[in-house]
Amino acid sequence: MQTKMLVAIIAIAIIVVAAGVGTWQLTQQPSTSPSPSPTSTPTASATSTPSPDARPIKIGLVAGYQIAEGQDMDRAAKLAVEEINAAGGVYVAAWNTKVPIELVIADTGKDTAGETVGPVTRAVTEDNVDLLIGGYTSAGTLADQVVAIENRVPYIITGASSNLVTRRGPQGNFGGLPADDARRYDDAEGMSYMFHYCTTTADYSKTVVNFFAQTMKPLLDSTYGFDASRPLRLAVIYRNDAFGNGVLADTKNLIQANNLPVEVVVERPYQTTATSFQTDLTVVKDAKPDAVYVVDFIANTAEIIREGQKDVGLNTVYIAVECCEDPQLYTLLGEYGGGVLLESKFAPYAGPPFYMQSIETYVTNYQAANAGKIPGMMGADTYDAFFIAKAAIEQAGTVDKAAVRTAIEQINIPQMLIMTQTGTVQFSTSTNYHEIAPITFVEQFTYNATLQEARPQIVYPATVPGIGTLKQADFVLPTGYQPGSP
Amino acid sequence: MITPSGLAETLLWGVANGCIYILLAAGLSIIFGVMKLVNFAHGQLLMIGAYLAFTASVVLGLNAYLSILVAMGGVALIGLGVERFTFRKVLGTDKLNEIFVSLGLIYIFENAAVLLWGNKSAQIASPLHGLLSLGGISISYDRIAAMGIVIVILLSIIFLMKKTKIGLAMRATSQKSDATQLMGINIEKVYIFTFALGAALAGAAGALYGIIFPFSPALGALPTIKAFAIIILGGLGSIPGAVVGGLLYGIAENTAGYVLGGIWPDAIAFVLLIVVLVIKPTGIFGGKGD
Repeated sequence: MQTKMLVAIIAIAIIVVAAGVGTWQLTQQPSTSPSPSPTSTPTASATSTPSPDARPIKIGLVAGYQIAEGQDMDRAAKLAVEEINAAGGVYVAAWNTKVPIELVIADTGKDTAGETVGPVTRAVTEDNVDLLIGGYTSAGTLADQVVAIENRVPYIITGASSNLVTRRGPQGNFGGLPADDARRYDDAEGMSYMFHYCTTTADYSKTVVNFFAQTMKPLLDSTYGFDASRPLRLAVIYRNDAFGNGVLADTKNLIQANNLPVEVVVERPYQTTATSFQTDLTVVKDAKPDAVYVVDFIANTAEIIREGQKDVGLNTVYIAVECCEDPQLYTLLGEYGGGVLLESKFAPYAGPPFYMQSIETYVTNYQAANAGKIPGMMGADTYDAFFIAKAAIEQAGTVDKAAVRTAIEQINIPQMLIMTQTGTVQFSTSTNYHEIAPITFVEQFTYNATLQEARPQIVYPATVPGIGTLKQADFVLPTGYQPGSP
Repeated sequence: MITPSGLAETLLWGVANGCIYILLAAGLSIIFGVMKLVNFAHGQLLMIGAYLAFTASVVLGLNAYLSILVAMGGVALIGLGVERFTFRKVLGTDKLNEIFVSLGLIYIFENAAVLLWGNKSAQIASPLHGLLSLGGISISYDRIAAMGIVIVILLSIIFLMKKTKIGLAMRATSQKSDATQLMGINIEKVYIFTFALGAALAGAAGALYGIIFPFSPALGALPTIKAFAIIILGGLGSIPGAVVGGLLYGIAENTAGYVLGGIWPDAIAFVLLIVVLVIKPTGIFGGKGD
């Protein structure tokens, strides 16, 4: 009898240890062999039954369904969830089974600050989401993230280019905000649940000013015989809000800090409600710039570039920021798209072969599921974020929010649709706020008369360390280009 | 830096933009003048007009400027339906009822537009290209065409109001609706025609707007506010007031933007409105118009 008892105890111990080792191996797998592919996820142990606590993982999508970018995020999120669930779902070691993802929609309308808090509160407190993904405008995200911070819900922010969404807390030195600024958020623990999977305004401007200094200025000097000491004359026309002012400030800071041969000769803010820009463009034209940096969203950016050429006769180099990387921009620009530049990090229409291969499947599946629609950049960020969430939960082995937060902090998986400086998705580890280091590039458009739209090619940078060649074509001055003052 | 040519261009663009405002405000003014109805969804009729012209241009391959007729006809028909099935039920009751009906219509029109045309911005492709340059002042041919079309439409409206029976009935109704009924005029027909006419003007404004600027289903709100400011500036119910108010508003808006900076246009335009109301509370043509 004692022998039988001993054998039984040993057998149970072996099973427990084996299950523990198996669990450890399974939960460690994503960090040692990272892959966003759903086919590489671990499988449930054949020797144990799933936990009765097992349930679908609830992920809240924070998106403005009344704006094109929000709809793009919705389509991308649904595609990601469909792919993950079709491959069996997400393995949660604590439940010893794979579970599907259940998408909870937090529809933020036009994603203004006044519209975002309600839907996100409902998702967090009523739907009890395990994690949040999304956020588009900086103002809207700064408002709704407070709900996630207070409730300790991991939030992978895929829009909101203001770096305040991760740096407004103590670990980000309050984003440099003055002591009485209401946007400061003195909760380091809560802020540690915020993850920014998006380019910041500083990232935008860094690529733009470096392009002007390294590529456009030498071309102007050689073409027009300008003295090497003449700086490139840059005009900045921008929406008068946190986004526009942030880009302008970062642009000037970067020029000054790096002593770049670029001079901002005119700064022209306008109301966010503006729909017509001739007077602003006339002031810009009077300043005789070599190039115009347009800082706004898609519709206004297209209108500024159109009015500049069509109404004001400002035949210059226009550069737009990456939030405009959407098929709509090409459509709205039409024939006025020729020669235009766009700073970007996701280009369904452009990219060298290695890059196109990585997004080809996404574009194909997206189009198949959405009646041929071309994906935009906001959706690409969002799509990636679902696979980051999946990998983090599998690494954590639980849906416990603190454990998932820690798993996202430690995540190290191959880059997906968004290229990064390291080739992997890793949130900054040297600081306590969580941002990625995306690669951004500059595209130049060429008008295609058959399509009646422009199409882009990457013109800067030529190569990226650890990634390879990016450049597809040389930058050229647009037809009819008029340089600024000598 | 302010340059003479820059300022002259700005004034010219102000007139051009003002022409679109005039069309919208004239429609609002006619509806208010005859029916005493405050329609906050008037800007949404402009938006629908832009989309109808866009659809006619893309689907039927119509010239952008011919599509204005489609927009006018289509929005006039919508206006008939709106007057018949919504405003007629509440007209003459508490003013709040009319206001809430028009506020409800804003959401109905915006959501219908999203369902029909989606949320993305659109623009009507114009057959006109390039700039007319005279002495350092440039203006696009589209804006010149817009000014010409607005003048033709306004002359037609004046002819209709002065020289036709329905115009006479409208003017009579605007002054004494009870007495008009005693004279045997079917006031319901006058109302329905008036609303359709006002809507058609909004449709024309929308088509012109869509040729010059991109638009989306959210377009209506700001033009409505501007149109109200213009008819208050010019005098409620007055077409000449809408014309003068529209031009003043367009010029003030553009000049403020050029001289003071891009964040000032709306503030200065509304300062102008307040100044006029302080000096003459009935507006420039208040009580004297048609």
